[in-house]
Amino acid sequence: MTVSETHLVMHGLAIKKHATPEAVAGIVGLDVEDVRAALGKLVEAKRVVEAHGKYLLAPAARMALDADYSCLYEDVRAHPDFAAGYEAFERLNGGLKRLITEWQTIDVRGEGVPNDHSNKAYDDRIIDRLGDLHERAEGALDRLACVLPRFSIYREKLGMALEKAEDGAIEWVSDARIESYHTLWFELHEDLLRLMRREREE
Amino acid sequence: MTIRFGEWTIGLNGDGAPDRELIGGKAWSVARMQALSLNVPSAVVITTQACAAFTAGQATPAGLDEEIAAGVAWLEERTGRRFGAGPRPLLVSVRSGAPVSMPGMMDTVLNLGINDETEAALAEECGDPLFARNTHRRFLDLYAHIVLKADSPVPGNGGDPAKWREAIRATTGIEVPHEPKAQLHGAVRAVFESWNSRRARRYRQHHDIPDDLGTAVTIQAMVFGNLDARSGTGVLFSRNPLTGAPAPYGEYLPRAQGEDVVSGKFTPKPLSALAHELPAAHASLLAAAQTLERAGRDVQDIEFTIERGQLFFLQSRAANLSPHAAARIAVDFVREGLVDEDAALRRITPDQVRILLAPHISPSALHSAHALASGEGASPGVGIGALVRDSDEAERRAQAGEAVILARPTTSPDDLHGMIASRAVVTELGGSTSHAAVVGRALGLPCVVGCGKGALEGLAGRTVTVDGRTGKVYDGALAIESSDESDHESLATLSAWAASRSPLRVLPPSAPEAQDAVDLTGNVAAADPTTIGEALKLIKGARGARGGAIASDEGVRGALAAGLEFIVADPVLPPLLAALRSQDATAPPSVVTERI
Repeated sequence: MTVSETHLVMHGLAIKKHATPEAVAGIVGLDVEDVRAALGKLVEAKRVVEAHGKYLLAPAARMALDADYSCLYEDVRAHPDFAAGYEAFERLNGGLKRLITEWQTIDVRGEGVPNDHSNKAYDDRIIDRLGDLHERAEGALDRLACVLPRFSIYREKLGMALEKAEDGAIEWVSDARIESYHTLWFELHEDLLRLMRREREE
Repeated sequence: MTIRFGEWTIGLNGDGAPDRELIGGKAWSVARMQALSLNVPSAVVITTQACAAFTAGQATPAGLDEEIAAGVAWLEERTGRRFGAGPRPLLVSVRSGAPVSMPGMMDTVLNLGINDETEAALAEECGDPLFARNTHRRFLDLYAHIVLKADSPVPGNGGDPAKWREAIRATTGIEVPHEPKAQLHGAVRAVFESWNSRRARRYRQHHDIPDDLGTAVTIQAMVFGNLDARSGTGVLFSRNPLTGAPAPYGEYLPRAQGEDVVSGKFTPKPLSALAHELPAAHASLLAAAQTLERAGRDVQDIEFTIERGQLFFLQSRAANLSPHAAARIAVDFVREGLVDEDAALRRITPDQVRILLAPHISPSALHSAHALASGEGASPGVGIGALVRDSDEAERRAQAGEAVILARPTTSPDDLHGMIASRAVVTELGGSTSHAAVVGRALGLPCVVGCGKGALEGLAGRTVTVDGRTGKVYDGALAIESSDESDHESLATLSAWAASRSPLRVLPPSAPEAQDAVDLTGNVAAADPTTIGEALKLIKGARGARGGAIASDEGVRGALAAGLEFIVADPVLPPLLAALRSQDATAPPSVVTERI
C-alpha cells in the first residue's frame, strides 16, 4: 500500500496536533525538509494553519483526512497481523493506564495522594513494571510494523523514553510536554484508532 | 544454624539470618521476620551462588535438582502437607531475590504445585471447589504471564483447566507442566534466566553491580485463609496512614485469601472483629505491629493470614503515607525516641508541605456554594475561571489574559494546548485513568472527570470554581484561603527544627528584615525555576532576595550558591527543607521502603 507524502504529513499533524515540522517528521518517518515543503503547500491550500512556527490542521483538512482513512487503509485493517497487533495493543493499554495512574497517584488506604516522587523505591518499581510492559508491547509493535513499517518508529521512540526513565530522568515516564512514554503511547493509540476507524473510549 | 540441603539450597528455620549476599533480599526479609520471633510461612532458598553457576555454565548446576527435592521434603515435613498430592496438598510461591533489588527480575508465581489432582484435594480440604478452581486458574495465568512471558491467554471467566492450558499452548507453543516438580524447575530456571534480562543487565551496568552476583530463588509454602471459620486474611497499618494518628488500623476478611481483600468484591471487617473472633491472634498481631515499626523505624503496612487459628506474617513494608500523616508521624517519632530531629526532617519533602498548605476553598464560602456538576476528583487543586467548551477557544482566550476552565465530554491529545492554557479541566466521561486525569496530574492542573454525559452542557461562559480534590464544580468564583505552618501543630514544630539547622534563613513577608531583600518580581529569568540560578549569580551586594521563583527548590539552591543570607517566602517550611536537602545532598530517601 502506498500513501502520499501529503497524507502522511496531515496524518502526523493530526497525531501531534499543534506541532513543529521536526515533530511531524519524527513521528511519521519523513525527512524534515520534505515535511516543511509539504506544510508550505498545505498552508497555501488553506488546509493547515501556521502560528508561531507550529502547525495545526484546518477543520476542512480534518474532514478530508477522515475520508482518507476510510479508503486508504482498507487492506491494512483487513490484514490479520495488523488486527492481531492492534488487539494486543488494546489489551496492554489498560495496564499502561493503570500503571501511569499509580505513577502519578500513590494509594494511601484507598485514597489517592499525588506522587511527589520522593520515594525512589516506589518509582523504581513502577519503571520496572513499565519495562516489563514495554517488552510485551514490542511484540505487538513488531506485528504492526510487518504491515506498516513506520510503526517501528514508535518501538524505537518508546524504547528511548523508557531507557531515559530507567536512567533516572523520570519526566520521561509521563510528562505531557515531551515525547515521554505516555505521550508516545497516547499518540500511538491515536494513530491506531484513526487507521482502524475506532473511537476512543474515554 | 539454618539447614543446608547441600551446596546450593538452605532451609530458613529462624536460627540466625544467613548473609544477604547469599540468600537475596526476599529470603533475608523472611529471616529478619523470623528473627523478630514472628511466624512466617516456611521457606527454602536457592542461593545466589547457584544462579552464578547456572549463568556461567548455561545449565542447572550439578546436584541442584536433588537439593530442591530435599528442600521440598523439608517444607512438607514442616507444613504437614504433600507437594503434588492430597489429602492436604502443598502449594508454594516462587520469587526471585537479588541481594539488591533490581529491575527486570522475575515476578512472583503463586500456587505452584496445583494440577487436576491437587485441585480436587484442595477443593475437598477447604470445602470450596470454586476456590480450588480459581487457584488453579490463577496459577496457570501467572505461569503463562511470568514464566512463559505470554499476554493473558487465560480468560478471566469461563472455561476449565484443560481449555486454559490449550490457550496457553496455542499462544506460546509451550505446555504448562502437570507435574509439580517440573513446574518448580521451570519457575526456578526462569528466575535464573531473568538475571540476564535486558533491564537487569542494563541496571547493573549503570550502577556498577557485578554480573556474577546472581539472584536467589525463594520457595515458600502458601498458607490458606479460607479453610474454616478460624481462618482469614487482612492488612494492618501500625498507625493510621491518612491522619497519622498513633493507633493501629486494619481490615480483616474471615474465610478469605489475600486476593479477595484486594479485589474489592468483599467488604472487609474492621480489626475489632478479629479481636472478638480470635483474641489471641489479634493480640499477637498488635504486638507484632509495634515490634516491626520499632525495627523498621517507619510506619508498617503488614499483610497477614490466619490458617486454622495460626497467625502468619506474609510481608511488612514501610507504608505509603498521606502528606498530613507524614508530617505528624515525623514529629511523633522524635517524641517517642524512634528517630532524631535530623532524620525526621529528612522524612518530609518540600512538596509534601506544599501539598498540605495548598490553597483550598474557604469553608464559609463552601457552605453556601452551589455545585453545578460533580464527578471524580482526579488531580487536586482549585481553579477558577470562565467555562469554555473548546480547546482552541480556551487557548485563544487564555492568551488574551482571561482565566478559563476547559470543559469537554472527554479529552484527547487534540486538547493538550487547551489544557495547558486552562486553570482546571472538567470532563463528562472517564475515570481516574482517563486522558484528562493522567494529563491533568502530569501538568499539576486541577481536574474533575466523569461528571456524567451532558452534565456540562449549557454551562459555557459561566464563571466556575473547580475543586480537583473533591470533584465538585461550583457556580461563581468562591473565596480561596491558604493555611500556613502555624495552623498545623506538627508543621510548626518541624519549622522550628528546620530553622535552627538551615544554612539559609527563610523569612515571612511580615518580617522587618524582609524589606532589605532584592525584589525579583518582573525579572524574567528569576521567574523560571530552571534559570533562576543564573539570574541570582548576576545580583551583586544583596543579602537577601524575594519574589520570582525564589521559594522553589531551584531558587533555594541558587540562593545558597549565590551566598545569600536569607530569602523571603510564604510558607517558610518548604524552602527550609529544600535548603537542608541541598546542604545534605547525600541524604537517604525520605521514606525507607526496604521490606523487613
